[in-house]
Amino acid sequence: MHAVIYIPNFHLQAALRLEPQLASRPVALMDQTESKAVVMQMTDAARAFAVAEGQTSTQAMARCGEILIRARSRAQEDAAAEILLQCAYCFSPRIESTATGVCTMDLRGLAINDDIADGDAAGAADWAGRILRALQQTHLRAQIGVAETPELAWKAAREAMPFLCVTDAGAFLASLTVSSLEAAPELLDILDRWGVRSVGSFLALGKDRIAERLGPDAVDVFDRALARESRPLKLVTPAETFDEFMEFEEPIETLEPLLFVLRRFVEQLANRLDVVYLVAGELRLRLGLSSGEPHERAFSIPSPTRDVETLFRTLNTHLENVRTDAPISSLRLTAKPGRAAHFQFGLFETALRDPNQFHETVARLGALLGSNRAGAPRLLPTHRPDAFAMDPLLAGEEQTGEPAPISGPALRRCRPQIAAAVELRGDRPVLVHSPAVRGAIARTQGPWQISGDWWDNARWSREEWEAETTDGDLCRLVRQGDEWLVDGLFD
Amino acid sequence: MKAANANDIIQLRQALAQRFPQVRTWSEQPPQKSRSCWPTGLPSLDALLQGGLPKGALTEVVGPRSAAGTATFLHALVRRSHQTRQFAALIDGHDSFDPGALTNAALSRLLWVRCHSAEEAIKAADIVLRDRNFPLVALDLKTNPNAQLRKISPTAWYRMQRIAAQNGVTLVVLTPLAIGGCADARLNLESRFTLDDLAKEPEALALVLKFELVRWALGGAADATAAQAG
Repeated sequence: MHAVIYIPNFHLQAALRLEPQLASRPVALMDQTESKAVVMQMTDAARAFAVAEGQTSTQAMARCGEILIRARSRAQEDAAAEILLQCAYCFSPRIESTATGVCTMDLRGLAINDDIADGDAAGAADWAGRILRALQQTHLRAQIGVAETPELAWKAAREAMPFLCVTDAGAFLASLTVSSLEAAPELLDILDRWGVRSVGSFLALGKDRIAERLGPDAVDVFDRALARESRPLKLVTPAETFDEFMEFEEPIETLEPLLFVLRRFVEQLANRLDVVYLVAGELRLRLGLSSGEPHERAFSIPSPTRDVETLFRTLNTHLENVRTDAPISSLRLTAKPGRAAHFQFGLFETALRDPNQFHETVARLGALLGSNRAGAPRLLPTHRPDAFAMDPLLAGEEQTGEPAPISGPALRRCRPQIAAAVELRGDRPVLVHSPAVRGAIARTQGPWQISGDWWDNARWSREEWEAETTDGDLCRLVRQGDEWLVDGLFD
Repeated sequence: MKAANANDIIQLRQALAQRFPQVRTWSEQPPQKSRSCWPTGLPSLDALLQGGLPKGALTEVVGPRSAAGTATFLHALVRRSHQTRQFAALIDGHDSFDPGALTNAALSRLLWVRCHSAEEAIKAADIVLRDRNFPLVALDLKTNPNAQLRKISPTAWYRMQRIAAQNGVTLVVLTPLAIGGCADARLNLESRFTLDDLAKEPEALALVLKFELVRWALGGAADATAAQAG
């Protein structure tokens, strides 16, 4: 058995996929690349106003004043074709991209094949319903036909509302009109004059008599109408790319309209990923600028997801701080699919509740404070004072290290150290004056001579004193040469 | 006539209470706030606060003197957070935190946000509080100049308190003077370290920190004016 998924008015549906609210309004699709732009396809609402294929935009607007004219978008059509194949691939591993908006599936070996053979119409309808709902999620309306051969399934798909399973090929063909034969107009005219209205009547004429009276072209039509012979499918594997692109008619200069379109893109990508049971592991944003130089940025999603809010917030946080040199002329958003992360924690293990939210928080902090000002501190393996690095906060992973040998109250460091005027009596400080601490020194400990890295250019040495003033302040003073500095206050 | 007016008012109140059940009238008692706690591991303080720092509330710890122990208290919170395998965030208002006194293991669950002014710190705290990944957020403004602290809008404290309450975050603010007017709890740190304390273990010093509870707006705790610990 074979199934065909057919998307009627494919070009129009592809163009309106990002504006699904227009599907119920009168809309006509024009191909602006043709020398004479005429209406290609239109919505039912437009057809109700007698708008028809081949009319110019002026003629269409004369018939319907409210009609919206949309230009054909190759990028949207490519994306819609990808969606169709990706969706079909979830239901059968053997699929063919038969034509624009038409995908043929080989059902051999699938459970649905047995259901149909057993006469389980409800099972077949349920299977088709799942495909239709998956496509509906991405705002594509499809029809599905199931039959013995690909040709018959294609005919069934065209007649389906929205699903048709053909078990009796003869009865089905007999019910079709000759206009469904995809024959030359001259042949259809002759058949009409003969009074042959249905495919059943046409087939009843017999192959020999048709060959004798109408020639070899009519024999081809006869064979196609019979749809008895199967053919091998040209199998394809859909690319795992999830890409949305839009070229703006007028370049965008503000954030609001960009975010509006971007949200639609994110919703579409999330729906597409949902259909194939994947999540976004990375987003790649490309803003085409009218100056020619694009702005590109890749966003790694810490905890892969297809949650629209999470993905959109990631982009929004970045774009709030982006300034471009020129207006934005096009937008491309690509999602790199990944598998949802699964963790098995220990009984008492805790992890970040929402790694994506945390990632966004760090991005916001980076935008507010600058880079390297938020993270988890890591002590460096050196005795140099205040030597640490800022690392990303690791979810669930724990660093190891030697216990800190420092005793006493915690120090509040002065970064940078504050210059101080220190009066000495003998070798010991007795008075300190600086913005951080001032007053007579009651007691001191020191000096502590420390040094390190003497083997390279990063060598350092200093003399440390710990001092308690008569006011009760407790500080660490550092002498480097003749200069005194306040290193910090114990608190 | 007066009786009729009183009845009208009662009926009006009842009607309003039915129509807007979430609105509280002036005469009603405020609802009891949640009293779940974040135990600090400092027995005296936990006893004073009946279990620990209140969750979903703003606790202000005021250390007027330079060696009052606010940094030691902060380090104790970071160690405790690591012991209980929880994440914590420190908004460092003046980039004065010294990680050198802690271990890498203790630091691995700490988000340290290094700010250069109180204004930056308040904005950063607003972002971190909304994150909901951190059960404990400490905002350290102890070494920020008073001029910066006075410029903090009172509405900023209310906003932080509301976000903390919404997200169930334990928010601790360390200040040199009482500035958080809407703090749910306020503690004064009355310790005074001396040069002799430099030889003692930090954990031992944290245990002898002297706290005084001067404000308690959560109900059910010890009398704020008299409670002391340490």
